[in-house]
Amino acid sequence: MTKSLKRFSASAARNIILLAISALILVPVLWMFLSSLRPANQITIYPPDFFPKSLTLKNFERVFKKIPILTYAKNSLIFAVFTTLPSVFISAMAGYAFARFRFKGKNVLFTITLMTLMIPFQVTMIPLFMEIYAMGLYDTYLGLILPRLAVVIGIFMMRSFFAGLPVALEEAGRLDGLTEFGIFFRIMLPQCKPAMITLMVLGVNAAWNDLMYPLLLTSDTSMRMLANGLAMFVGQDTIEYGAAFAGAVISVVPMLLAYILGQKYFVEGTATSGIKG
Amino acid sequence: MTFSARRIGEFWNKPEHAAYLFLLPAFGLLFVFSVIPLLASFLVSTLDVTVYLTGVKFVGLKNFIEAVGDPRFWNALFNTLVFTAVEVPLQICFALFVAALVTKDTRINKAYRSVFFLPIVCSATAVGIMWQFILNQNIGYIPYALTTIGLPRIAFLKDPSIALFTIVFISVWRTFGITTTIFVAAMQDVSKELYESSEIDGAGKLRQFFSITIPGIRPAIWFILITRVIGSLQVFDLVYVTTGGGPVFRTETLVTYIYSRAFTTNIRLGYATAMSECLFLIILLISICLYSRMIKQERE
Repeated sequence: MTKSLKRFSASAARNIILLAISALILVPVLWMFLSSLRPANQITIYPPDFFPKSLTLKNFERVFKKIPILTYAKNSLIFAVFTTLPSVFISAMAGYAFARFRFKGKNVLFTITLMTLMIPFQVTMIPLFMEIYAMGLYDTYLGLILPRLAVVIGIFMMRSFFAGLPVALEEAGRLDGLTEFGIFFRIMLPQCKPAMITLMVLGVNAAWNDLMYPLLLTSDTSMRMLANGLAMFVGQDTIEYGAAFAGAVISVVPMLLAYILGQKYFVEGTATSGIKG
Repeated sequence: MTFSARRIGEFWNKPEHAAYLFLLPAFGLLFVFSVIPLLASFLVSTLDVTVYLTGVKFVGLKNFIEAVGDPRFWNALFNTLVFTAVEVPLQICFALFVAALVTKDTRINKAYRSVFFLPIVCSATAVGIMWQFILNQNIGYIPYALTTIGLPRIAFLKDPSIALFTIVFISVWRTFGITTTIFVAAMQDVSKELYESSEIDGAGKLRQFFSITIPGIRPAIWFILITRVIGSLQVFDLVYVTTGGGPVFRTETLVTYIYSRAFTTNIRLGYATAMSECLFLIILLISICLYSRMIKQERE
């Protein structure tokens, strides 16, 4: 009796702690959503109410009027998709070479790849800015996309994935007379759909939420993305709280939906990146 | 012509040659956009360059000497080190605690875990906007709620003595889900038998946590420690979107200072690059220390 009581109270304590932490995560997010629907005069009152007395879509109207948020969203989408899709293929190709081919200089090249991970972005950012500027790619999509196409972590993840596939697969391909590229595209690549989806999901999320990088390589309003465009809007002296909340909600909703739909990929991708790292 | 084309095709189709073709796109891009900028950074740090990339002048090590005498540089370095020294241990301890509570793959634990992961899909900008307002001393809910239990109205992000720690809190809030996820994965790999045999010996849950779980997931802890330290030394996003380095530079970190000297006020690209080189050196030294300790510990 006392033992089961003890177990019950331990489990109750555990759930209370976990619920409290969950509340700490969810309540601020909920607060943001509620506040985006709050009339302006209810935002700047003291003491604040948690639940709004009435709801309005005015804040969304305001944010559309104040900043070209649809352009920002379009730019975020273009950047996220056109960096992530090619980068996953580029990572897969390089990872495949490291995992399945024996060639001269393999160890040296692999070490170089590893070492590029050690370079903090801040060191290369100013020369990169100058380089992109000199190439005439400042404030262009191409200038934003090109430097982000080679993702070293992606190469590592794909390498460890390919290393786990049986050799018989590519030998069968060679017997069928396929070229090395044919083997890669027709046989090996279809095997690693889950790994590629994981990389895409994590890549799109990282690109969508990236702040410093687009700040660095663009200045024109028409080239801003949600993350940096909103940050600059909020950074102005006269902040419109309601509009800022509405903008934040617009920027968060697509990734929240992606997370709800593809949670498995977010979580598993993160978990394996830790173990393999 | 066709003959030689076929020869070329055959040559490149040999696995030991095809490998280079597979590596070409990644290495070409890494070379142009990582290696060249890295090499160029050493050069740029010895130059005086305006934002319009005009008036380039070689100044040798002057930029580095200037950094040593720049109180804002030391202040930013100090803030960065304080941030790292507080954020990383806090993040690791908290994530270990949470991971231990949700290790088992039950449905409810999975639900908890997906909630903890949620802030990661929110951009730093959105997180910054959110916390700025919730913590605002005039209209925010948390300062208000604290006054109802008798505390003064605290200006979390405006008070110079606590603003940096508020950012530490927001940072842990935003990323502990990643750390927890990695710890959970590692904890699930610790052999069940170890727990069973220690249970027979009468060890309590707490004893088990410290004598089995922690040693069992040591590689994951090292991984998090090293990556979080490197990440925290480069902290930028949350500072940029919450305080912008204020009040009175008390939350200015090295990267926000470098960024502002490169792109916003009193712009000098060479000087900013020299400071980023100093940051690189600091990161390198700290990582080498951590790596060598890790290797030493793994040998024991």
